[in-house]
Amino acid sequence: MRQAYALVAAVALLSCFVATARATQTAKLTATFTPDRLNTPTTITFAIQITADGQVPAPLTGIDLRYPLNLGLATSELGLATCQPQQLKTYGPPGCPANSIMGHGSALAEIAIGPEPLKETATITLLAGPPQEGHLDILVYAEGQTPVNAEILISALLIPEPPPYGGRLHFNIPLVPSLPDGPDVAITNLHTTLGPQGLTYHEHHHGKTITYHPDGILLPTTCPDGGFPFNATLTFLDGSNAQAKTTVPCPVRTRE
Amino acid sequence: MIHSQKHSIITAAVIVLATLLASTANAAQTLDVRDEGQLHYTGSTGSLLREEGTATGTLPGQLYVHFVYNGSLTVTAQFTIDGHGWSLTGHGTGTLSSPNSASPSFRGPLTITGGSGRYSHAYSTGGELFGVFYRRSPKHKYALTVQTLGELHY
Repeated sequence: MRQAYALVAAVALLSCFVATARATQTAKLTATFTPDRLNTPTTITFAIQITADGQVPAPLTGIDLRYPLNLGLATSELGLATCQPQQLKTYGPPGCPANSIMGHGSALAEIAIGPEPLKETATITLLAGPPQEGHLDILVYAEGQTPVNAEILISALLIPEPPPYGGRLHFNIPLVPSLPDGPDVAITNLHTTLGPQGLTYHEHHHGKTITYHPDGILLPTTCPDGGFPFNATLTFLDGSNAQAKTTVPCPVRTRE
Repeated sequence: MIHSQKHSIITAAVIVLATLLASTANAAQTLDVRDEGQLHYTGSTGSLLREEGTATGTLPGQLYVHFVYNGSLTVTAQFTIDGHGWSLTGHGTGTLSSPNSASPSFRGPLTITGGSGRYSHAYSTGGELFGVFYRRSPKHKYALTVQTLGELHY
């Protein structure tokens, strides 16, 4: 009889552990330059992949994405107009000036409902927002349609950083409710450009409207030892963090 | 007696005048400065832009500026003006008023930290820096226009 009680207690304890066990989130970061040439304006493409031991990860609440020293991020031609957040919330990116768009991308999210998680893709647009707290602000607008119809507005402040980084983008990510009484949406993949690739700007010149491609982020004339370092710190709703690093190799010199 | 008294007065006057002249020669001089610089871009390293141009106004000369625009709303500028037989160095900071525009403007304090020639002991008070940075300009990309106001003591 005593053995039976012990067995029940052990099973109950094990069930508790299983119920409260948290998967550890891990993140993978990739970055590329297009074109990948020194002393040339470029588009940076970032991708972040979040996994959690085969489970749905905890909802993401923040990203600090550090970029290398000597990238001419603030001196590019990106963001020559301001998108007001209220316009963006009401009308989406078409409600903002074309010259405020700074990049495009997509995101994949999962919702832990039932045995197989629901998956949702969202399109992403990066726009120049009004400065916040003394820093340039990039607005990230994400729009998903099925199964959850949601628009999210994320603010990313451009903050200077000590070497070997030149600065970081600090994203505050709001929680996105899924279905009624369901868990919050968990982002598992994020892929976005920051640069002129696919962008068209407009300017008025002698009464005419001229379209042009803005200059991108100027790469330095020399490559740092070991390449261009990027680093991401991700924070999750469960209080955990994940770190991811990557390096864009130095471009191969080609003969002119 | 009268002659001797007159001589004493003249001597005293000469001494006073000489003392005055000597003290004037040693005293710091002050110049109200109002200069304008038109600078063009000569190169950059990340957020640091190198600019060069001509300063006109109270202190005309060749102007060299290292301008940092790194994503914060505060820009910084370190500068040197090379004149005929003298130079001045200093720095300024400015707060951008419209960063998401083709030509953001900035304004802030300016300090002269030293120099050479007649300005080897120069310093400034009440210096102000005004400027426009041309992010998008077909002919003058990354050009800078700056204006400075202040008192120079040397």
